[in-house]
Amino acid sequence: MSRLEIQWPDAAAERARAARGRLIRAGEGLRARSFEDRLASVARVLSEWTRADSVWRRELERALAATTPFSQGAIAEGLESALRAWEPGAFVECARREVGPGALGEARTLAPYAWTTVIAGGPIPMPTLLSALIPLVVGSPVLLRETEKDPITASVLRRSIAAQDPELAACCEPLAFPHDDAAAYEILLTAPCVVATGSDEALGAISARLGPTTRFVGYGHRFSIAILGPRLCEGDLLERAAEGLALDVARWDQMGCLSAVVVYLLGVDTALAEQIAESVSDALARLEDSMPRGSIETARAAQLASERAEARMRVATSGGRLLEGRGHTVVLEADAQARPAPLGRFLRLMPVSTHAELLERLTPFAGQLSSVAIAGLAEENSVPDPRSSGDLPLLSQLSHLGVSRITEPGRLQTPPVDWPHDGLPLFTPLARMLQRDAVRL
Amino acid sequence: MTRDVIEAELLRWMSEGAAARPDPERFERLALDLFAFQFKACAPYTRLCESLDRTPGRVRCVEEIPAVPTGAFKEFELRCFEAKSVVKTFRTSGTTLERRGELHLDTLAIYEASLLASLRCCLLPGLSKGGAAMHFLAPSPDEAPDSSLTHMFDVLRREEGASSSAFHLHEGHLTVEAFAEALGRAQREKTPSLIAGTSFAFVHFLDATRADPDRWRLPEGSRVMETGGFKGRSRSVPREALRQEIADRFGLIERDVVNQYGMTELGSQFYDSTLIDRTGPRRKLAPPWARVRLVDPESGRDVDPGETGMIVIHDLANSGSIAAIQTADLGRAVLDEQERTIGFDVLGREAGAEARGCSIATDAMLAASGRANR
Repeated sequence: MSRLEIQWPDAAAERARAARGRLIRAGEGLRARSFEDRLASVARVLSEWTRADSVWRRELERALAATTPFSQGAIAEGLESALRAWEPGAFVECARREVGPGALGEARTLAPYAWTTVIAGGPIPMPTLLSALIPLVVGSPVLLRETEKDPITASVLRRSIAAQDPELAACCEPLAFPHDDAAAYEILLTAPCVVATGSDEALGAISARLGPTTRFVGYGHRFSIAILGPRLCEGDLLERAAEGLALDVARWDQMGCLSAVVVYLLGVDTALAEQIAESVSDALARLEDSMPRGSIETARAAQLASERAEARMRVATSGGRLLEGRGHTVVLEADAQARPAPLGRFLRLMPVSTHAELLERLTPFAGQLSSVAIAGLAEENSVPDPRSSGDLPLLSQLSHLGVSRITEPGRLQTPPVDWPHDGLPLFTPLARMLQRDAVRL
Repeated sequence: MTRDVIEAELLRWMSEGAAARPDPERFERLALDLFAFQFKACAPYTRLCESLDRTPGRVRCVEEIPAVPTGAFKEFELRCFEAKSVVKTFRTSGTTLERRGELHLDTLAIYEASLLASLRCCLLPGLSKGGAAMHFLAPSPDEAPDSSLTHMFDVLRREEGASSSAFHLHEGHLTVEAFAEALGRAQREKTPSLIAGTSFAFVHFLDATRADPDRWRLPEGSRVMETGGFKGRSRSVPREALRQEIADRFGLIERDVVNQYGMTELGSQFYDSTLIDRTGPRRKLAPPWARVRLVDPESGRDVDPGETGMIVIHDLANSGSIAAIQTADLGRAVLDEQERTIGFDVLGREAGAEARGCSIATDAMLAASGRANR
């Protein structure tokens, strides 16, 4: 006798299927609106988030404090500083520059994807906010898969859109489901355009399941560094750089790709190196009150303890410094060997004597570097020389290693809204265009 | 006390077998004597202990002995003898760009006595010497002379295995057919088999033989030992699922599959209890000359029984290197009905190992998990 097996429909897949249907219908209305109308509406949403008294920011702040490991102070500062750097005007200009009618010319028009899946990743809300808004400008509704580490941002964002423009809000559907729900993923990956953020392994797994005609934009793991030079001893440069670096490390507890994990001390003597280490450690200690480190799970605490123990042993035998605070660690290494970054406000300072040595140390990480903060570099390293036909100046060479932003300490985690994430334009990767040649009918 | 005296006593202890009752007093005394010796004999360790102000004169109990993180074996030659006396060096796995941890030995006597005692206690009960064909899903000593796992398998083969015992991983490839034939022969002849290898080699084998899952029903007394994680590999399998799948493929019960927790930096290994306690909870057992502590990573203090802690091991078999080792692995004590500790569980070994080993060179600066992207 054969056995009848009834499989209960996967609830998340059903929700995804229903959301897809709604989005495809809503997308028609979205595309019927002009580019400028869509852009203006999204810009208004953005303005509501970036204003100092934003109710959405406050709501997100409270909700994230209750659901993520970050401390309330760190969340408040992280949101405030990042959103302060997001100029709605710059967002509008960037959209017009990349995909506006003026940029496309008379012979081209946008041909938006019927819908876009955005798969969020990581616990930091900023990328989720931006990646959900950009397709709307282009004219493609968004199915936004929430990250398990941040189950809040997507829904708060949608309500903030609804408060401004209910029709636009119908084009953004957040969806939560476990990462191993293959049936739900299957629906999401039928989108003609997929944007995903996650580990390189996760991106590889997603792209392997997409058809050849699907547009895929993936943002993988990166890390950021700082390079400090000997001119740091001039004026108040050291103090400013230390304060800035402390923020770059403390914000989001170093969990983002824009957090500094290593500082290379280029041509810095031992005395100044020790001063830098102490200043950064002091600055991190001062932040402990206003933005304390959040809770860390035992596995990460074990990694931190392990790295601290290894550093203690190196310092005892080979020199350098280990500065341990309540919620931070600063290690001044005696060499520039690549070593793990356990995060959780753990910063290594590594001496390199020459520009060539620095590049040698960084070359194995080509493609993995996101942003670089620089301060106090000697003149020959800080100013690119386009006339040089021999060795490229340092900053140009960093760009060859895949660095997509160079800034100053304190601003690593607060890029402008139109920053080319991973070197990509903001809107163009999600846009499709139609060329209309002059034809005789 | 000199190292010779300490090692002579250790060898006597090991000859009593790993199943001997724990002897805390004997352990404490030998551990403190060994610490005093290692403090004097190993310069990097001396400096570490001095920096912590924990010198032999000040350390009163095992818990106060400074533990060396496993990563330090990549950066320092942690040995208590001259370089010219090295007879064997075991290295951790790693890529060409990555530094590999090294355990140097000037004698194999203690190392092999320890590993054999644990193997006899936890993996070989019920098997007669030479009575089981042993099959190793690992490279042979010729191919991997610096692998501690291969060395362990070779000692096991030499001391306890039948003459048909063999290694089945050659030049990175599993010789599935030769292995399958050997298993078929054992099945026909009703000879128990012992199969041992890395977890990932078993995954390969399971994948390669998926088309014929009921091919083997190994004779009674057969058993499997698997070890290691999946660091840097393309496919990972939950530990329990892997164990069940292995048991099913060989026609064994799940308790015939034993996991080993070990690392290159240690002279002792820790095995699941399931072959010597067929009904009690599965847990790792430590030989009497090794003590496993579970500590709070932030305070460094021992956690309460049953709570998760970072694994710190005091392994007296590490007489020529450093006995106190701090891992980045997490564990939890397994308690009996009277709330007494009867062993431990290793939690999240894969994640810990990956983070610790920064398995791929390009990952060296990245955390193993939890990074956001912006």
